[in-house]
Amino acid sequence: MTTARPSRMAGLGPMLIVALIAAALYWPLMLAANVGPAGRTLASGAELDCKTALACASQLRNPVMPAPAQLAQGFTRLSTPVTSPLALPYNVGVTAGETLLGLLLATVTGVGLALLLVASRAFERATLPWLVASQTVPVVAIAPMLAVLLGQYGVQGFLPKAIIAAYIAFFPIAVGMSRGLRSADPLHLDLMRTYHASPAQTYRLLRFPASLPHLFTALKVAVTSALVGSIVAEISTISFSGLGKMLAENSRASDTVALWVIMGYGAVLGVTLVALVNALERWVTPWSRR
Amino acid sequence: MEQTMTPARTLAARPGGTLLTAAALLIGVGGLLLVALTLPAPGEGTPPNARAWLAGILALLAVGAFGVRGAAQGESRAARTLPAAFTLILAVLGTEALLRAYAVPAGLIPTPGRVLSALWTARTVLLQDTYTTFVLEALLGFVAGTVLGLALALLVVRFRFLERGLLPYAALFSSIPIVALAPVIVKAVGLDWPSKTVVVAVTVLFPVVVGAVRGLQSASRLHLDLMHTYAATPAQTFRDVRVPGALPFVFGALKVASTLALISAIVAEFFGTNGHGLGFRIQIEVGRFGLDIVWAAIVLASIAGIAFFALVSAAETRLLPRRS
Repeated sequence: MTTARPSRMAGLGPMLIVALIAAALYWPLMLAANVGPAGRTLASGAELDCKTALACASQLRNPVMPAPAQLAQGFTRLSTPVTSPLALPYNVGVTAGETLLGLLLATVTGVGLALLLVASRAFERATLPWLVASQTVPVVAIAPMLAVLLGQYGVQGFLPKAIIAAYIAFFPIAVGMSRGLRSADPLHLDLMRTYHASPAQTYRLLRFPASLPHLFTALKVAVTSALVGSIVAEISTISFSGLGKMLAENSRASDTVALWVIMGYGAVLGVTLVALVNALERWVTPWSRR
Repeated sequence: MEQTMTPARTLAARPGGTLLTAAALLIGVGGLLLVALTLPAPGEGTPPNARAWLAGILALLAVGAFGVRGAAQGESRAARTLPAAFTLILAVLGTEALLRAYAVPAGLIPTPGRVLSALWTARTVLLQDTYTTFVLEALLGFVAGTVLGLALALLVVRFRFLERGLLPYAALFSSIPIVALAPVIVKAVGLDWPSKTVVVAVTVLFPVVVGAVRGLQSASRLHLDLMHTYAATPAQTFRDVRVPGALPFVFGALKVASTLALISAIVAEFFGTNGHGLGFRIQIEVGRFGLDIVWAAIVLASIAGIAFFALVSAAETRLLPRRS
């Protein structure tokens, strides 16, 4: 996903300027978004410490866009004490664990499927349309049922959510990996044949190394999908921790400031996970470093 | 393993191969249909001896799978489409037979037969939900997100400053779980369908921007130099070199976005609706243990999703020049 790899430092200036512009625009945007609801709240005669709609815009209990002070307040409220299982850091950790476990499951399934897809055209023709179709099945719907089903067989805790995350994430891996396995240079394949290499040797020495860049591109997509999967799974199954559970609870309580803070944590988690995959890629394929 | 797929085998040259395939498919499908009809539905009649039926069902599935494998040989149109169709039929019949054999209660997993009848009895409501979710939310949001994304990509490519300043954020945003955005947007825009359309548009936007920018920059140095030698105007270079080069990337992104769009529409409905949409229906019926309706809604969502994906693929084959 990161296209701006070369000259990392040169890109920092423009990024900063854009960030500053966005920050400067935030305040007026926030006022514009909140002034309507603030006016309505005032008109309804609610107890507020402010007189005009404009002054109230930054002090609403449930703002459309929270003011920076509210955000900071919400951030400290939800992040402390750091070790508490009710605070966000712990819940982010839970979601990250589920996501990584899900990604591992998805990689195993995806690579296995890719091997089958490449090995047998009959298998590809019989299943590929349904693999594509499986991606359109709304996981929100299956998640509670899957949780009940798995619970019957004693599977609880992390695993049901990881399985749901894997369900969303396996497809890009299967597609990317099968493309990667087919991407080996025909010349090299011919050479392997000349050397009378066994299919297993061809896979180990040629096809797998050739597929690695494709695999990692797919993994970067998959890790975001897996994160979405575990959050959705936490929303729709009975959960006691995780970002999704906090999202669902605060959505029900209409605590918009909290929703924004959780969203921020989710963003940081997403970016961190992608960076993790990037680091893994650089570690596994040092030769492809640009 | 590709070595084994030499023309000699793919032509199905073995005499009687077609006959054997047809027989296997007939036995598999017919046998499973017979089993599904003989076994009592869960909750009706005495539960059958599951162990004994299991062996038979698995054998019939294996015979059917053998037939599917035979039908996939060759390059004819039938060999491309039939295997998938028969896989679905076998899977549905096999599920029905297994669920009946094990007498799985409908509150846990309803049999495909029940789902089909639910699809028929609740058709007016479900079709209306599909219209809301698919046309108003997913499709409209997809179009809005794509148009906005392409416009943004053009700006990014045109101005070097934006490429450095904005593109990293686009890449950043595409790694953010959009579900986390859904409740905020639904709270801000309202419970009616436009809020879900906005969620879908935001979901679609970032992959499209990243894909389109990468595509527009993929033109080879050689081609650009060539256009320069021909004294082509920037507009001509753009039209004749950059845009055709970008299309494969854009369509790659659009295909990913098409499946994302439907899912995010459904997830967004989870955070509040005014009583329409497949996501709302699923959520409500899960709470009432009306799992046959839930699965019926899932079937419709899947059909809509496949149609969406096929639509984008069809546009791709029409607009992309054949690679030869």
